Amino acid sequence: MKRGWIRKLIGGLSFGSALFIFQACYGTPQDLEFDMLIEGTVKSTATGLPVKGIKVSVPDYGSSQITGEDGKYSLYTMFIDSTRISFEDTDLNVDGAFLKKDTLIAVPQERVQLNVMLSPK
Amino acid sequence: MLTALRKQAFRLFREAETRHHELNYLFWECTTRCNLRCRHCGSDCSQDSAFPDMPLGDFLAALDTIENPAKNLTVVLTGGEPLLRKDLEKCGQEIKKRGMRWSMVTNGHLYDEEKHGSLLGAGLGALTISLDGLESSHNWLRNSSASFDRVTKAIALAAASPRLNFDVVTCVNQINFRELPQIRETLINLGVKAWRLFTIIPIGRAKDIPELRLTDEQFKGLMEYIAEARESGGIKVSFSCEGYVGPYESLVRDTPFLCRAGINIGSVLIDGAISACPNIDRSFAQGNIYRDNFFQVWQSQFKPFRDRSWMRRGQCAGCSEFKDCRGNGFHNWHGDKQNVLVCHYEKISNYV
Repeated sequence: MKRGWIRKLIGGLSFGSALFIFQACYGTPQDLEFDMLIEGTVKSTATGLPVKGIKVSVPDYGSSQITGEDGKYSLYTMFIDSTRISFEDTDLNVDGAFLKKDTLIAVPQERVQLNVMLSPK
Repeated sequence: MLTALRKQAFRLFREAETRHHELNYLFWECTTRCNLRCRHCGSDCSQDSAFPDMPLGDFLAALDTIENPAKNLTVVLTGGEPLLRKDLEKCGQEIKKRGMRWSMVTNGHLYDEEKHGSLLGAGLGALTISLDGLESSHNWLRNSSASFDRVTKAIALAAASPRLNFDVVTCVNQINFRELPQIRETLINLGVKAWRLFTIIPIGRAKDIPELRLTDEQFKGLMEYIAEARESGGIKVSFSCEGYVGPYESLVRDTPFLCRAGINIGSVLIDGAISACPNIDRSFAQGNIYRDNFFQVWQSQFKPFRDRSWMRRGQCAGCSEFKDCRGNGFHNWHGDKQNVLVCHYEKISNYV
Protein backbone atom coordinates (compact mmCIF):
# COMPACT_ATOMS: atom_id res chain seq x y z
CA MET A 1 0.00 0.00 0.00
CA LYS A 2 2.90 2.34 0.81
CA ARG A 3 3.60 3.28 -2.77
CA GLY A 4 0.19 2.39 -4.12
CA TRP A 5 -0.81 5.95 -4.97
CA ILE A 6 2.41 6.56 -6.91
CA ARG A 7 1.89 3.58 -9.19
CA LYS A 8 -1.76 4.49 -9.69
CA LEU A 9 -0.85 8.07 -10.58
CA ILE A 10 1.90 7.13 -13.02
CA GLY A 11 -0.15 4.27 -14.46
CA GLY A 12 -3.17 6.54 -14.87
CA LEU A 13 -1.09 9.21 -16.62
CA SER A 14 0.51 6.79 -19.02
CA PHE A 15 -2.13 4.27 -20.05
CA GLY A 16 -5.09 4.37 -17.68
CA SER A 17 -6.53 1.51 -15.69
CA ALA A 18 -5.75 -1.03 -18.46
CA LEU A 19 -2.26 -1.23 -16.97
CA PHE A 20 -3.54 -2.82 -13.80
CA ILE A 21 -5.51 -5.49 -15.62
CA PHE A 22 -3.05 -7.95 -17.02
CA GLN A 23 -2.58 -11.62 -17.69
CA ALA A 24 0.50 -13.76 -17.69
CA CYS A 25 1.45 -14.78 -21.20
CA TYR A 26 0.42 -18.39 -20.61
CA GLY A 27 -2.33 -17.62 -18.11
CA THR A 28 -5.97 -16.57 -18.16
CA PRO A 29 -7.55 -13.13 -18.15
CA GLN A 30 -7.92 -11.64 -14.69
CA ASP A 31 -11.30 -11.99 -13.04
CA LEU A 32 -12.79 -8.68 -11.94
CA GLU A 33 -16.47 -9.61 -11.46
CA PHE A 34 -18.40 -9.86 -8.21
CA ASP A 35 -20.06 -13.08 -7.13
CA MET A 36 -22.89 -13.97 -4.82
CA LEU A 37 -22.52 -17.09 -2.67
CA ILE A 38 -25.77 -18.97 -2.15
CA GLU A 39 -25.72 -21.76 0.39
CA GLY A 40 -28.19 -23.80 2.36
CA THR A 41 -29.75 -27.19 2.96
CA VAL A 42 -32.40 -29.06 0.99
CA LYS A 43 -34.83 -31.11 3.09
CA SER A 44 -37.90 -33.23 2.45
CA THR A 45 -41.31 -31.84 3.50
CA ALA A 46 -42.38 -35.42 4.18
CA THR A 47 -39.60 -36.50 6.53
CA GLY A 48 -37.78 -33.29 7.43
CA LEU A 49 -34.55 -35.07 6.54
CA PRO A 50 -31.82 -33.73 4.24
CA VAL A 51 -32.07 -34.77 0.59
CA LYS A 52 -29.00 -35.66 -1.41
CA GLY A 53 -28.68 -35.69 -5.21
CA ILE A 54 -30.63 -32.50 -5.81
CA LYS A 55 -29.23 -30.34 -8.59
CA VAL A 56 -29.20 -26.72 -7.45
CA SER A 57 -28.68 -24.44 -10.41
CA VAL A 58 -28.93 -20.94 -11.77
CA PRO A 59 -30.46 -21.71 -15.18
CA ASP A 60 -29.83 -18.27 -16.65
CA TYR A 61 -26.10 -18.30 -15.86
CA GLY A 62 -25.22 -21.98 -15.88
CA SER A 63 -23.72 -22.57 -12.44
CA SER A 64 -24.84 -25.68 -10.61
CA GLN A 65 -24.10 -28.07 -7.79
CA ILE A 66 -25.48 -31.36 -6.49
CA THR A 67 -26.41 -31.63 -2.80
CA GLY A 68 -24.34 -34.04 -0.74
CA GLU A 69 -25.36 -36.62 1.87
CA ASP A 70 -26.19 -33.83 4.34
CA GLY A 71 -28.43 -32.06 1.79
CA LYS A 72 -26.09 -29.07 1.81
CA TYR A 73 -25.02 -27.00 -1.17
CA SER A 74 -22.84 -23.97 -1.73
CA LEU A 75 -22.98 -22.21 -5.07
CA TYR A 76 -21.43 -19.09 -6.60
CA THR A 77 -23.25 -17.08 -9.20
CA MET A 78 -23.25 -13.59 -10.67
CA PHE A 79 -23.99 -10.69 -8.34
CA ILE A 80 -27.12 -9.39 -10.06
CA ASP A 81 -30.76 -8.57 -9.30
CA SER A 82 -33.39 -11.29 -9.58
CA THR A 83 -31.50 -14.56 -9.61
CA ARG A 84 -33.70 -17.57 -10.29
CA ILE A 85 -32.57 -20.71 -8.46
CA SER A 86 -33.82 -24.11 -9.48
CA PHE A 87 -33.91 -27.28 -7.33
CA GLU A 88 -34.31 -30.48 -9.31
CA ASP A 89 -34.07 -34.14 -8.39
CA THR A 90 -31.38 -35.92 -10.39
CA ASP A 91 -31.28 -39.35 -8.73
CA LEU A 92 -35.02 -39.97 -8.83
CA ASN A 93 -35.11 -43.41 -7.28
CA VAL A 94 -32.31 -43.32 -4.74
CA ASP A 95 -34.10 -41.60 -1.87
CA GLY A 96 -37.49 -41.01 -3.44
CA ALA A 97 -38.49 -38.58 -6.17
CA PHE A 98 -39.08 -34.89 -5.46
CA LEU A 99 -40.94 -32.19 -7.29
CA LYS A 100 -38.89 -29.49 -8.95
CA LYS A 101 -38.93 -26.10 -7.26
CA ASP A 102 -37.86 -22.65 -8.44
CA THR A 103 -37.25 -19.67 -6.24
CA LEU A 104 -36.09 -16.10 -6.77
CA ILE A 105 -33.45 -14.05 -5.00
CA ALA A 106 -34.62 -10.51 -5.69
CA VAL A 107 -31.93 -8.54 -3.87
CA PRO A 108 -28.32 -9.67 -4.33
CA GLN A 109 -26.04 -9.99 -1.33
CA GLU A 110 -22.49 -11.21 -1.01
CA ARG A 111 -23.75 -14.25 0.88
CA VAL A 112 -27.29 -15.63 0.86
CA GLN A 113 -28.61 -18.41 3.08
CA LEU A 114 -31.36 -20.30 1.27
CA ASN A 115 -32.84 -23.43 2.87
CA VAL A 116 -35.44 -25.24 0.80
CA MET A 117 -38.08 -27.89 1.49
CA LEU A 118 -38.95 -30.19 -1.42
CA SER A 119 -42.17 -32.16 -1.70
CA PRO A 120 -42.13 -35.81 -2.74
CA LYS A 121 -43.76 -36.64 -6.06
CA MET B 1 6.43 14.39 -27.97
CA LEU B 2 3.36 12.82 -26.35
CA THR B 3 4.59 9.35 -27.31
CA ALA B 4 7.97 10.02 -25.69
CA LEU B 5 6.28 11.25 -22.51
CA ARG B 6 4.06 8.20 -22.34
CA LYS B 7 7.07 5.97 -22.87
CA GLN B 8 8.90 7.69 -20.04
CA ALA B 9 5.84 7.51 -17.76
CA PHE B 10 5.56 3.80 -18.51
CA ARG B 11 9.18 3.21 -17.53
CA LEU B 12 8.48 4.93 -14.21
CA PHE B 13 5.36 2.85 -13.79
CA ARG B 14 7.34 -0.34 -14.45
CA GLU B 15 9.86 0.66 -11.77
CA ALA B 16 7.06 1.40 -9.30
CA GLU B 17 5.44 -1.97 -10.04
CA THR B 18 8.76 -3.72 -9.53
CA ARG B 19 9.37 -2.03 -6.18
CA HIS B 20 5.81 -2.60 -5.02
CA HIS B 21 5.83 -6.27 -6.24
CA GLU B 22 2.27 -7.01 -5.19
CA LEU B 23 1.26 -10.61 -5.76
CA ASN B 24 -1.72 -10.35 -8.12
CA TYR B 25 -1.48 -13.57 -10.04
CA LEU B 26 -0.49 -16.98 -8.74
CA PHE B 27 -0.12 -20.05 -10.92
CA TRP B 28 -0.73 -23.40 -9.31
CA GLU B 29 0.67 -26.29 -11.32
CA CYS B 30 -1.84 -28.63 -9.70
CA THR B 31 -1.06 -31.62 -11.91
CA THR B 32 1.39 -32.56 -14.65
CA ARG B 33 -0.84 -35.38 -15.87
CA CYS B 34 -2.30 -34.68 -19.28
CA ASN B 35 -4.82 -36.40 -21.54
CA LEU B 36 -3.01 -35.16 -24.65
CA ARG B 37 0.56 -35.26 -25.87
CA CYS B 38 0.84 -31.99 -27.76
CA ARG B 39 3.79 -31.53 -30.08
CA HIS B 40 4.61 -28.09 -28.68
CA CYS B 41 4.32 -28.83 -24.95
CA GLY B 42 6.94 -26.81 -23.09
CA SER B 43 6.43 -28.89 -19.96
CA ASP B 44 6.84 -32.30 -21.59
CA CYS B 45 3.55 -33.34 -19.94
CA SER B 46 2.16 -36.81 -20.57
CA GLN B 47 -0.42 -39.29 -19.33
CA ASP B 48 2.09 -40.93 -17.02
CA SER B 49 3.49 -37.97 -15.10
CA ALA B 50 6.47 -38.54 -12.83
CA PHE B 51 4.78 -36.44 -10.16
CA PRO B 52 1.56 -37.16 -8.29
CA ASP B 53 -0.98 -34.30 -8.22
CA MET B 54 -0.22 -31.86 -5.44
CA PRO B 55 -2.65 -32.46 -2.54
CA LEU B 56 -5.04 -29.51 -2.12
CA GLY B 57 -4.12 -29.17 1.57
CA ASP B 58 -0.45 -28.64 0.73
CA PHE B 59 -1.28 -25.82 -1.66
CA LEU B 60 -3.76 -24.22 0.76
CA ALA B 61 -1.12 -24.20 3.50
CA ALA B 62 1.08 -22.12 1.16
CA LEU B 63 -1.85 -19.88 0.22
CA ASP B 64 -2.63 -19.26 3.88
CA THR B 65 0.80 -17.69 4.42
CA ILE B 66 -0.20 -14.71 2.23
CA GLU B 67 -0.80 -11.70 4.45
CA ASN B 68 -3.39 -9.19 3.23
CA PRO B 69 -3.80 -10.67 -0.24
CA ALA B 70 -4.27 -8.18 -3.07
CA LYS B 71 -7.91 -7.40 -3.79
CA ASN B 72 -7.97 -9.18 -7.15
CA LEU B 73 -5.46 -11.92 -6.47
CA THR B 74 -6.23 -14.66 -8.98
CA VAL B 75 -5.07 -18.24 -8.55
CA VAL B 76 -4.61 -19.76 -12.00
CA LEU B 77 -4.89 -23.55 -12.11
CA THR B 78 -2.66 -24.99 -14.75
CA GLY B 79 -0.96 -28.24 -15.60
CA GLY B 80 -0.79 -30.69 -17.27
CA GLU B 81 -4.54 -30.69 -17.66
CA PRO B 82 -6.33 -29.39 -14.53
CA LEU B 83 -9.63 -31.06 -15.52
CA LEU B 84 -8.05 -34.46 -14.77
CA ARG B 85 -8.23 -33.62 -11.08
CA LYS B 86 -11.35 -35.06 -9.45
CA ASP B 87 -11.35 -32.43 -6.70
CA LEU B 88 -11.25 -29.37 -8.93
CA GLU B 89 -14.52 -27.91 -7.59
CA LYS B 90 -13.29 -28.36 -4.02
CA CYS B 91 -10.02 -26.62 -4.97
CA GLY B 92 -11.96 -23.68 -6.38
CA GLN B 93 -14.30 -23.40 -3.41
CA GLU B 94 -11.41 -23.38 -0.95
CA ILE B 95 -9.64 -20.64 -2.90
CA LYS B 96 -12.83 -18.55 -3.02
CA LYS B 97 -13.38 -19.06 0.72
CA ARG B 98 -10.08 -17.28 1.25
CA GLY B 99 -11.36 -14.22 -0.61
CA MET B 100 -9.30 -14.94 -3.72
CA ARG B 101 -10.39 -15.53 -7.28
CA TRP B 102 -9.57 -18.53 -9.40
CA SER B 103 -9.28 -19.38 -13.05
CA MET B 104 -8.02 -22.20 -15.23
CA VAL B 105 -6.07 -22.93 -18.40
CA THR B 106 -7.37 -26.04 -20.17
CA ASN B 107 -7.19 -27.97 -23.43
CA GLY B 108 -10.99 -28.21 -23.20
CA HIS B 109 -11.28 -31.96 -23.81
CA LEU B 110 -13.18 -32.70 -20.61
CA TYR B 111 -15.06 -29.40 -20.48
CA ASP B 112 -18.69 -30.37 -21.04
CA GLU B 113 -21.96 -28.80 -19.92
CA GLU B 114 -21.95 -30.54 -16.55
CA LYS B 115 -18.37 -29.52 -15.80
CA HIS B 116 -19.09 -25.98 -16.97
CA GLY B 117 -21.95 -25.74 -14.45
CA SER B 118 -20.10 -27.26 -11.53
CA LEU B 119 -16.99 -25.12 -12.05
CA LEU B 120 -19.04 -21.93 -12.31
CA GLY B 121 -20.81 -23.03 -9.15
CA ALA B 122 -17.41 -23.40 -7.49
CA GLY B 123 -16.59 -19.80 -8.39
CA LEU B 124 -14.57 -20.16 -11.59
CA GLY B 125 -14.10 -16.59 -12.78
CA ALA B 126 -11.87 -16.79 -15.83
CA LEU B 127 -10.96 -19.42 -18.36
CA THR B 128 -8.58 -19.87 -21.26
CA ILE B 129 -8.94 -22.61 -23.87
CA SER B 130 -6.46 -23.35 -26.64
CA LEU B 131 -7.45 -23.61 -30.28
CA ASP B 132 -4.43 -24.04 -32.51
CA GLY B 133 -5.83 -23.93 -35.98
CA LEU B 134 -8.54 -25.22 -38.24
CA GLU B 135 -9.40 -28.89 -37.81
CA SER B 136 -6.38 -30.63 -39.32
CA SER B 137 -3.71 -28.21 -38.09
CA HIS B 138 -5.20 -28.08 -34.59
CA ASN B 139 -5.40 -31.88 -34.41
CA TRP B 140 -1.84 -32.17 -35.75
CA LEU B 141 -0.45 -29.91 -33.01
CA ARG B 142 -2.56 -31.58 -30.34
CA ASN B 143 -1.67 -35.04 -31.60
CA SER B 144 -5.31 -36.11 -31.43
CA SER B 145 -7.88 -36.66 -34.16
CA ALA B 146 -10.79 -35.84 -31.81
CA SER B 147 -9.41 -32.65 -30.35
CA PHE B 148 -10.91 -30.00 -32.65
CA ASP B 149 -14.49 -31.25 -32.19
CA ARG B 150 -14.21 -31.38 -28.44
CA VAL B 151 -12.47 -28.06 -28.10
CA THR B 152 -14.89 -26.13 -30.28
CA LYS B 153 -17.78 -27.48 -28.19
CA ALA B 154 -16.02 -26.38 -25.01
CA ILE B 155 -15.32 -22.95 -26.51
CA ALA B 156 -18.98 -22.47 -27.46
CA LEU B 157 -20.05 -23.32 -23.90
CA ALA B 158 -17.57 -20.97 -22.26
CA ALA B 159 -18.19 -18.15 -24.72
CA ALA B 160 -21.92 -18.23 -23.94
CA SER B 161 -21.33 -17.61 -20.24
CA PRO B 162 -21.96 -14.01 -19.17
CA ARG B 163 -19.95 -14.67 -16.00
CA LEU B 164 -16.65 -15.96 -17.33
CA ASN B 165 -13.79 -13.73 -18.40
CA PHE B 166 -12.94 -16.00 -21.25
CA ASP B 167 -10.43 -16.00 -24.05
CA VAL B 168 -9.03 -18.37 -26.62
CA VAL B 169 -5.31 -18.70 -27.24
CA THR B 170 -3.62 -19.87 -30.39
CA CYS B 171 0.00 -20.92 -30.71
CA VAL B 172 0.91 -19.61 -34.12
CA ASN B 173 3.29 -21.81 -36.10
CA GLN B 174 4.21 -22.50 -39.73
CA ILE B 175 1.30 -24.93 -40.17
CA ASN B 176 -1.52 -22.64 -39.00
CA PHE B 177 -0.02 -19.26 -39.96
CA ARG B 178 -2.06 -18.91 -43.16
CA GLU B 179 -5.27 -19.95 -41.41
CA LEU B 180 -5.44 -17.00 -39.03
CA PRO B 181 -8.28 -15.19 -40.87
CA GLN B 182 -10.39 -18.38 -40.93
CA ILE B 183 -9.63 -19.14 -37.28
CA ARG B 184 -10.79 -15.62 -36.45
CA GLU B 185 -14.06 -16.21 -38.33
CA THR B 186 -14.54 -19.55 -36.56
CA LEU B 187 -14.09 -17.90 -33.17
CA ILE B 188 -16.48 -15.06 -33.99
CA ASN B 189 -19.07 -17.65 -35.03
CA LEU B 190 -18.56 -19.46 -31.72
CA GLY B 191 -19.28 -16.22 -29.85
CA VAL B 192 -15.73 -15.63 -28.60
CA LYS B 193 -14.93 -12.04 -27.57
CA ALA B 194 -11.16 -12.23 -27.02
CA TRP B 195 -8.39 -14.03 -28.90
CA ARG B 196 -4.75 -14.05 -27.85
CA LEU B 197 -1.95 -15.11 -30.13
CA PHE B 198 1.36 -16.64 -29.11
CA THR B 199 4.40 -17.96 -30.78
CA ILE B 200 6.14 -21.09 -29.58
CA ILE B 201 9.54 -20.91 -27.96
CA PRO B 202 11.92 -23.84 -28.51
CA ILE B 203 11.72 -25.55 -25.13
CA GLY B 204 10.39 -28.96 -24.07
CA ARG B 205 9.14 -31.06 -26.98
CA ALA B 206 8.89 -27.96 -29.19
CA LYS B 207 12.63 -27.58 -29.55
CA ASP B 208 12.87 -30.59 -31.88
CA ILE B 209 10.16 -29.50 -34.36
CA PRO B 210 11.28 -26.66 -36.64
CA GLU B 211 7.79 -26.13 -38.20
CA LEU B 212 6.62 -24.83 -34.86
CA ARG B 213 8.79 -21.73 -35.12
CA LEU B 214 7.82 -18.85 -37.38
CA THR B 215 10.34 -17.48 -39.81
CA ASP B 216 11.25 -13.82 -39.35
CA GLU B 217 9.05 -12.95 -42.32
CA GLN B 218 6.11 -14.85 -40.84
CA PHE B 219 6.62 -13.25 -37.45
CA LYS B 220 6.50 -9.80 -38.94
CA GLY B 221 3.43 -10.92 -40.91
CA LEU B 222 1.84 -11.99 -37.63
CA MET B 223 2.39 -8.52 -36.18
CA GLU B 224 0.83 -6.96 -39.29
CA TYR B 225 -2.10 -9.34 -39.08
CA ILE B 226 -2.80 -8.59 -35.40
CA ALA B 227 -2.55 -4.83 -35.96
CA GLU B 228 -5.04 -5.08 -38.83
CA ALA B 229 -7.40 -7.44 -36.99
CA ARG B 230 -7.52 -5.08 -34.00
CA GLU B 231 -8.84 -2.39 -36.31
CA SER B 232 -11.48 -4.67 -37.81
CA GLY B 233 -13.40 -5.36 -34.59
CA GLY B 234 -15.76 -8.30 -34.10
CA ILE B 235 -13.36 -9.91 -31.65
CA LYS B 236 -10.58 -8.44 -29.54
CA VAL B 237 -7.30 -9.73 -30.93
CA SER B 238 -4.00 -9.25 -29.15
CA PHE B 239 -0.45 -10.51 -29.06
CA SER B 240 0.49 -12.19 -25.79
CA CYS B 241 2.95 -10.55 -23.42
CA GLU B 242 5.64 -13.08 -24.39
CA GLY B 243 8.08 -10.54 -25.75
CA TYR B 244 8.97 -7.01 -26.75
CA VAL B 245 8.01 -6.13 -30.32
CA GLY B 246 9.48 -2.62 -30.74
CA PRO B 247 7.55 -0.65 -33.38
CA TYR B 248 4.48 -2.88 -33.01
CA GLU B 249 4.12 -2.36 -29.25
CA SER B 250 1.25 0.11 -29.51
CA LEU B 251 -0.40 -1.78 -32.38
CA VAL B 252 -0.75 -5.35 -31.10
CA ARG B 253 -1.56 -4.95 -27.38
CA ASP B 254 -3.48 -2.59 -25.09
CA THR B 255 -0.39 -1.72 -23.06
CA PRO B 256 3.36 -1.82 -23.66
CA PHE B 257 5.41 -4.92 -22.94
CA LEU B 258 6.02 -5.63 -19.28
CA CYS B 259 7.06 -9.11 -18.20
CA ARG B 260 5.53 -9.33 -14.73
CA ALA B 261 7.06 -12.72 -13.87
CA GLY B 262 8.26 -12.51 -10.26
CA ILE B 263 7.06 -8.90 -10.08
CA ASN B 264 3.32 -9.55 -9.80
CA ILE B 265 3.21 -13.18 -10.92
CA GLY B 266 4.23 -16.12 -8.75
CA SER B 267 3.75 -19.85 -8.93
CA VAL B 268 3.65 -23.01 -6.90
CA LEU B 269 4.93 -25.78 -9.13
CA ILE B 270 4.12 -29.49 -9.02
CA ASP B 271 7.06 -30.37 -6.74
CA GLY B 272 6.36 -27.45 -4.39
CA ALA B 273 8.93 -25.16 -6.00
CA ILE B 274 8.14 -21.45 -5.71
CA SER B 275 8.75 -19.54 -8.90
CA ALA B 276 7.01 -17.27 -11.41
CA CYS B 277 5.38 -18.49 -14.66
CA PRO B 278 5.51 -22.30 -15.03
CA ASN B 279 7.34 -22.13 -18.38
CA ILE B 280 10.34 -20.41 -16.80
CA ASP B 281 13.50 -22.48 -16.41
CA ARG B 282 13.04 -24.46 -13.20
CA SER B 283 16.50 -23.53 -11.98
CA PHE B 284 15.08 -20.08 -11.15
CA ALA B 285 12.99 -21.54 -8.29
CA GLN B 286 13.21 -19.26 -5.25
CA GLY B 287 12.15 -21.73 -2.58
CA ASN B 288 9.84 -24.64 -1.92
CA ILE B 289 6.53 -24.71 -0.05
CA TYR B 290 7.56 -27.98 1.64
CA ARG B 291 10.52 -26.20 3.22
CA ASP B 292 9.82 -22.47 3.21
CA ASN B 293 7.08 -19.98 4.05
CA PHE B 294 5.62 -19.13 0.65
CA PHE B 295 4.89 -15.47 1.35
CA GLN B 296 8.23 -14.83 3.00
CA VAL B 297 9.89 -16.19 -0.12
CA TRP B 298 7.68 -13.97 -2.29
CA GLN B 299 8.63 -10.90 -0.29
CA SER B 300 12.30 -11.52 0.32
CA GLN B 301 13.53 -13.47 -2.73
CA PHE B 302 12.83 -13.12 -6.46
CA LYS B 303 15.79 -10.78 -6.96
CA PRO B 304 16.69 -12.07 -10.47
CA PHE B 305 13.10 -11.30 -11.47
CA ARG B 306 12.95 -7.80 -10.00
CA ASP B 307 16.39 -6.69 -11.02
CA ARG B 308 16.95 -7.80 -14.59
CA SER B 309 20.25 -6.04 -15.12
CA TRP B 310 21.89 -9.52 -15.21
CA MET B 311 20.13 -10.04 -18.55
CA ARG B 312 22.41 -7.47 -20.16
CA ARG B 313 24.48 -10.24 -21.68
CA GLY B 314 24.66 -12.12 -24.94
CA GLN B 315 22.91 -10.16 -27.66
CA CYS B 316 21.14 -8.00 -25.05
CA ALA B 317 24.48 -6.58 -23.87
CA GLY B 318 24.72 -3.77 -26.38
CA CYS B 319 21.08 -3.50 -27.43
CA SER B 320 19.61 0.00 -27.48
CA GLU B 321 16.09 -1.38 -26.81
CA PHE B 322 17.05 -2.89 -23.45
CA LYS B 323 15.56 0.02 -21.50
CA ASP B 324 12.10 -0.92 -22.79
CA CYS B 325 12.59 -4.64 -23.42
CA ARG B 326 14.48 -5.59 -20.23
CA GLY B 327 15.72 -8.87 -21.67
CA ASN B 328 12.40 -9.92 -23.22
CA GLY B 329 10.01 -12.38 -21.51
CA PHE B 330 11.66 -14.14 -18.58
CA HIS B 331 10.80 -17.55 -20.04
CA ASN B 332 13.26 -16.82 -22.84
CA TRP B 333 16.19 -17.46 -20.49
CA HIS B 334 16.89 -21.16 -20.34
CA GLY B 335 19.84 -23.52 -20.00
CA ASP B 336 23.11 -21.70 -19.36
CA LYS B 337 21.27 -18.36 -19.54
CA GLN B 338 24.07 -16.71 -21.46
CA ASN B 339 21.78 -15.40 -24.17
CA VAL B 340 18.11 -14.79 -24.77
CA LEU B 341 16.46 -17.77 -26.47
CA VAL B 342 14.22 -15.70 -28.75
CA CYS B 343 14.48 -11.98 -29.46
CA HIS B 344 11.18 -10.85 -30.97
CA TYR B 345 12.61 -7.44 -31.74
CA GLU B 346 15.42 -9.03 -33.73
CA LYS B 347 12.95 -11.10 -35.73
CA ILE B 348 11.15 -7.91 -36.75
CA SER B 349 14.37 -6.03 -37.46
CA ASN B 350 15.76 -8.90 -39.53
CA TYR B 351 12.92 -8.67 -41.98
CA VAL B 352 12.72 -5.17 -43.41
